[in-house]
Amino acid sequence: MKSVGGVGLTEAGTGTESEADGGRQGAALPPYWPLLLVAAAVVPGVLLFVVGRWGDAPAVQAWRTVCLAVTVQATPFLLLGTALSGAINAFVPERVFQRVLPRRAALAVPVAGVAGVVLPGCECASVPVAGSLIGRGVPPAAAFAFLLSAPAINPVVLTATAIAFPGQPAMVLARLLASLVTAVVMGWLWLRFGKAEWLRPVVREQHGGHRDGRSRWDEFRRGFQHDFLHAGGFLVLGAMAAATFNVAVPRSVLDTFAGSPWLSVLFLAGLAVLLAVCSEADAFLAASLTAFPAVARLVFMVVGPMVDLKLIALQAGTFGRAFAVRFSAATVVVAVACSALVGGVLL
Amino acid sequence: MKRSLRAVLLALCGLGLLHISLFSDLCLRYVKESMRPLLIASGVVLVLLGVAGALLDRPGGGEPAGRDHDSHDQDSHDHDSHGHDHSGLPRVAWLLLLPALSLLFYAPPALGAYTASRQPAKPVAERQAFDPLPAGSPVPMTLSDFTGRVQQDPARDIKGRTILMTGIVTPHGGGSWDLTRIIINCCAADAQSVKVRIYGGDVPPAGAWVSVTGIWHPGGRLGTRSAPVALDALTVKKVPRPLNGYQDALPLPSAVTR
Repeated sequence: MKSVGGVGLTEAGTGTESEADGGRQGAALPPYWPLLLVAAAVVPGVLLFVVGRWGDAPAVQAWRTVCLAVTVQATPFLLLGTALSGAINAFVPERVFQRVLPRRAALAVPVAGVAGVVLPGCECASVPVAGSLIGRGVPPAAAFAFLLSAPAINPVVLTATAIAFPGQPAMVLARLLASLVTAVVMGWLWLRFGKAEWLRPVVREQHGGHRDGRSRWDEFRRGFQHDFLHAGGFLVLGAMAAATFNVAVPRSVLDTFAGSPWLSVLFLAGLAVLLAVCSEADAFLAASLTAFPAVARLVFMVVGPMVDLKLIALQAGTFGRAFAVRFSAATVVVAVACSALVGGVLL
Repeated sequence: MKRSLRAVLLALCGLGLLHISLFSDLCLRYVKESMRPLLIASGVVLVLLGVAGALLDRPGGGEPAGRDHDSHDQDSHDHDSHGHDHSGLPRVAWLLLLPALSLLFYAPPALGAYTASRQPAKPVAERQAFDPLPAGSPVPMTLSDFTGRVQQDPARDIKGRTILMTGIVTPHGGGSWDLTRIIINCCAADAQSVKVRIYGGDVPPAGAWVSVTGIWHPGGRLGTRSAPVALDALTVKKVPRPLNGYQDALPLPSAVTR
């Protein structure tokens, strides 16, 4: 017993001595440097191995593929949107919008909603554009009507819908009407109940616009690259969330909800939010959900371009989290109600 | 420092896009071929933006040093008039590094057996009329066409004919497997599957691309919904993944000659 204790003591003694030695040499080496060296050699390798093994599991591979696919697919449209928003900030004088839009905000909302026709592409482009419109003095209510209607009623998306539902022009008309009505109603709701403090200060302050002494092109480039980096980061966040649900929810559970008309409507509305399918493609997916009633499929196509995980992330980035949560929740309710009404009449 | 990091980040995103669209066919794992010009254009724009940022945003190049726009410096007149500084690097932008590096160095494969096995078969379009099957054997066919002919063709042309189809192996258990094709409309997030059950022979490894010849597996009433979309396999041969792997296309000509 004694000898063991003695050995322990001497070891401890040498330990402190060498530590003191290390201290004297100006702390060139940490006390356990061979251990650290081994760890530095081993840990990255093990980490790489684990990531490699885990990263090649089929589920993880599918997740990475879907996540990248959403990001890659959305990037050109996000670039278009941020370039457009940069250009609006730098080149378009404020009075242009004041002249084009009716003076009264309540009238400006439907005009802006219909103006959504001109922005070809899917929903990622419309968020930064709406942000820059607010910066240029467009009433937020009108900008939000544009934000919601643009991805749903532009010619590209409507054509895709017509191709996906051949011989059913009523579906195209119903989508157009339900989306437009939802966008306008949301604009009016914002006029009535919306609070400016839900928006990020940056959006509220009407930051945009050209200032003297700076080249417009330089302003355009700076705004463009900042907005793209900012929105792009949130896009990646949204894509990750969408990919998680896309992989975790097997498509085969769908049919269990198809029987009841009310449940199926709510279920497809939720699915549209979780899957985050691009608005140019969602009509094809809706067309394939043959077990569901037509109204439920219409809800899927109306909710999808207005609210989904990647849009919520993009909106949180551009307008602020407090806004994105309230606005998205309200939009889902309004969109479901509008498309149930329109679908009930037309389909 | 932030300026150069921002330039590098933009350029990496651009290079990642160019790498998958211009210098290789990797983008076909994620999106449709029709997206390729847009991806190339986006890549060029991002690289140019990065280069322009690196060249123009010099310290002292007419513009005050970069700041994060969340910090409200009182001593800067530039900030006061603007309220929103565009020369910073938002923290969330670092997330872009993940897809950029993944595209450049660790690109995940196309969707395969895992995704197909978790999806129900996509319903095929209703058709009124079917052209008579071409002469010759085997008859190359898409999976959707096969499904339609088995379940909808009143002429029952398919009976007794040897069919050739190409797709992904999706094991099913019980000695049978599904020949599948994954179809995308826009990007891999909206993937749907068409499936044909294959009977006979060993189950090939999951996810492999194969060409199968065989005869319709009898059951139910041919030409109605009760007929199984299934094939009794005669030959199963491994083939490379076709470039248009996300379409329900006819088998490649090389597979037909066999």
